[in-house]
Order: sequence, then structure tokens, then C-alpha cells
Amino acid sequence: MAKNKGKGKSKGKGRAKPKKKSIADRVDRHDLYQQSVQAPEADVEFFDTVFRELRGHAPKSMREDFCGTGYLSCTWAASKRSRTAYGVDLHAPTLAWGREHNLAKLSAAAQERVELVEGNVLDGLGGQQDIVCALNFSYGVFKTRAELLEYFKVAREKVAAQGIFITELYGGFEGIIEVEEERELDGFTYVWEQAKFNPINHHTLCHIHFRFPDGSKIKKAFTYDWRLWSIPELRELLLEAGFVDTKVYWERTDDDGDGTGDFVATEDEENQDSWLVYIIGVK
Amino acid sequence: MPINVDGSAKKSRKSKRAKPTQAEVADRHALYERAVQDPKTDAATLGELYRKVRKKAAVSLREDFCGTATLATEWIKGSKKRTAVGVDLDRPTLDWGIEHNLGNLSSADAKRITLYEANVLDGKGPKSDLACALNFSYCCLKQRKQLLAYFKAVRKSLKKDGLFIMDVLGGSETMGPDENRHNLGEFVYRWKQHFFDPLTHEMRCSISFYFEDGSKLAPAFEYDWRLWTMPELCDVLEESGFSKTHRMWEKTDKKGNQTGEFFEPKRIENQESWWTYLIAER
Repeated sequence: MAKNKGKGKSKGKGRAKPKKKSIADRVDRHDLYQQSVQAPEADVEFFDTVFRELRGHAPKSMREDFCGTGYLSCTWAASKRSRTAYGVDLHAPTLAWGREHNLAKLSAAAQERVELVEGNVLDGLGGQQDIVCALNFSYGVFKTRAELLEYFKVAREKVAAQGIFITELYGGFEGIIEVEEERELDGFTYVWEQAKFNPINHHTLCHIHFRFPDGSKIKKAFTYDWRLWSIPELRELLLEAGFVDTKVYWERTDDDGDGTGDFVATEDEENQDSWLVYIIGVK
Repeated sequence: MPINVDGSAKKSRKSKRAKPTQAEVADRHALYERAVQDPKTDAATLGELYRKVRKKAAVSLREDFCGTATLATEWIKGSKKRTAVGVDLDRPTLDWGIEHNLGNLSSADAKRITLYEANVLDGKGPKSDLACALNFSYCCLKQRKQLLAYFKAVRKSLKKDGLFIMDVLGGSETMGPDENRHNLGEFVYRWKQHFFDPLTHEMRCSISFYFEDGSKLAPAFEYDWRLWTMPELCDVLEESGFSKTHRMWEKTDKKGNQTGEFFEPKRIENQESWWTYLIAER
């Protein structure tokens, strides 16, 4: 049985109380996660742009599957008075963290426009929305075609008649090997480790670790046990699930080869060491 | 054939070009067989893989996308009981195989091979113990629906306990431009991946031959493929009705050299480039 692991997967740390608290003991891994891998303002901007491009009007309602702390849902609803968000995740403690740290920070009116629900994304709770999204590759927990197809069918049912489904995928030469990369952030180091990649079934085991200036660390703060799907596989499955069209949005790069944050629809690209795309299912 | 570009220089050119270049006299099918194929080993490996899974010997082989039918030819050499069917779309290539491969067999042996000029999707020919699609030729089927139709056709062409064996190409470096050359003495073989599109997994590749006298056949063969991944192939095989798949991997010795022996691992570390066999039970 596939579970919603996604960004919000929690693991009890069960550490003994230390005498002198290290940075690792004081920090909050959900907070570090949000700082390291999420950029909900950029997602909101992209969602708005792509929806207008494909549908010719502004999106209002958004469903965030595998929502974890609901960071994107909260950012969406707070960005405009007309916007509502419905987040779904299996993991109650992560949702609770999100209510306390993300939802509580919104204005009372914005809070009213967000609903965070504990549930399985396959159960199709809630009504239809303009946009249904599954970000941060969380659907990788569905490791068989049948499971992923079922999820896409449910997601499609949750998309309004004039709506779209948005998901993300990473790949490239370095996406399919065992590799570790680090990024220096404000007061800590974020480490992405692809501990395993199995070419005979494309199962991959990845971890997020955090390291701190005092030498302390949180090893395996988050662990993901995924099948790394390919772009053509996802597009074929979306069509099989009933979407009428699919689009792939690729990030433009500047002269130095760095990502510009600007995503455009494309059908023909050269492979790269590492890429991240948005894939859209048009209902 | 030598080309005279300018009529006025006909005479002098003619004398200079009296000796044709190596590329002009080369036979690209012969070069291909030397550079890329090892039909004797392939035939032995297919036989061993069948025995491993079915605990008995395979007698009949179907070679889809057979080209010059060099594998079918080696297959029937393995035992007097063996028969082979080869299917390919390209008449000239089949004819080359009839002349150069089947032509070297005794007439009795040659009769044990039947070649069909046909589309592999049509499922022509009798049912066999073993069907194979090697040299990644199935990659010319770029739509999932086409691949599914092909796998269904192959499954139908198998006897009840038949096996379908294909080879699979992969690794991080297969998904981008790449080039490698091998010096085979009389000529240099070049494999070139011109491009790989991550959006569709379409890839264009070519094989070229370069000769000592500076002449070349470039490209000698071109491929317009979709590079299917191992799990994708298994998914399509399952959907087309095959009951079980075996994802094989070649054993290496302590020094990391290939041994020619295949096993069925649960997990493997990805490499820059690899090829292996995938077996499907009908």
C-alpha cells in the first residue's frame, strides 16, 4: 500500500535529552525543509501564469495533494482574496505543525480560505478545484503504473471542468545515479543524498540531511522511497487517466547556464545534468 | 562507385581512381556484423537463458527485426533439431543474409530457417519456444501503443511455455550526446548518439565506419529510437499478457570484467552505460 510520504513524512527522533543543546537539537526540521526545498511564492506565480495561458482566466481554487505542512496552500490563499486552498495529507503531526506555523500566521480572513485535511489522496476527499497539484515528487511513492494511474484518475476527478493538474519531476544524468549535493543556506547546510538508484526498476532512495556550524547534524531528516518516473511515462499516464492534453514546462537558463525561474512550454530539449520540470494535465 | 565530378578531367581522374577506396568496396552489412554482432555468443546465451528459466532446451527460435539473420543462422548450427524464423521489413537486407549467411549452410540446414519479409507486428510464422528482439530494434516503436501491440504479437507467436528475450540499453550516459570509437584493425567503428530528448526519450544514433585510406561510410546506419527504460518495458510486457519478467544483469569478475554470465539481481547500481537481457515468460 502506498502511503503519503512526500515532504511531510515524519520520523520520531527519540533522542535522549542532551545536557548541552546543539543546534541540531534546537532547530525544527519542518522549518528547515521549508527553507531548503520550497519556494511557494514562485509556485503560486507559475500556477497563475500557466493557468491564464491555458485557460484564459484567473484561477481561484487550488488543491494541494501531499500537502505536508500546507505551506503552498497557505501561500496561495494569502496571495489574493479570491483564492482558496484545500490541502490533503496522510500525516496528522505534519498537518498539525503546518496549522501552528503556517496557517496561524495568516490573517483571520485568509485562514478561513484554507482547509487542511488528513486523508489519503486516493480517497478523493473534497470538491473540484481549478488547480490540483502534487509537488515535490511525492507521487513517486506510487511505484506501479496501476497505482499512479489510479491516483491521476482521482486527481482528474478533483479538477474543475476548466481546470488543470500540475505536477513536478526531476531528472537528468545526475538524477539516475547515486550522488550527494550540498547547498549552503542561512545558518545550515542542506544535503540531498540519492543513496540508491536501481536501473532495473528505477526505484530510488533519497535522504535530506541538515548540518550545522557547531558540527551537529540531523541525518536522514527526511527519507524518500520512490520510483523515479520519466517525463514520457507521466505524460502517457495522464492521457490514459483522461486528461486531453499534457504540457511540459522547462526552466529557461541564462548565458551562464543558471536557471532563471522562468518556465516555458517546450517539446524538444537537450538532456542536462539535472533538471526540474512542471508537467501539466489539461482536463 | 567512383564519381567523376568534371567531364573534362575524366581521363586523368579515371586513372587516379582506378583503385577504389576502401569505403567503396566495403560491405556495410559485413562490417556491421563484425563490429556490433556476436551471433555465436548470442545464440549460446539465448539457449542458456531458456534452459535456466524452463529447465529444458529450446528448439525453435523466432528472430524479430532479424536483418541479415545472422543470429538465426548461428542458432540452427547449435543442434540438428533446431529451427529458426526470421522476420524483417527490409528486403535487400534479408537478401544479403540469404546470400552470405544462409548461403554458407548446407541446403538441409538452410531449410531449417524461414525468413519473412514482414512487419513484426503482423506475427507471421509458426509458434516458437523462444522469440527475441535484439540490438534494441524494438526502440523504433516509439509510441507505447505500438510497443504494446508488438509485445502482444510476440506473445501470440510463442508456444505455451515460450520465452521472449530482448536486450535493453541504459545508463546515465545513454541519455545524452555521446560518441565512442573502436579500432577493429581494418576499420574504425564509431557509435554516435546525436541527441536525446528527455521530454520524449527519443534519441538519434548512428554507426559509421572509417578506413585506413581516409575513406568512410558515415553514417552507415542511422537509428531513430525511443530509449525505453527497463521498468517501462516490464510494465508494457505485463500489460500485453506476459506472466513474469526477469531483469537480468551480467556478472563481473573480481576485476570488474564482464563474464558473459547473467543473473537476476534485485538491485544494481546504475552505470554510465550498460546493456542487458530482459526475459518475459508467456
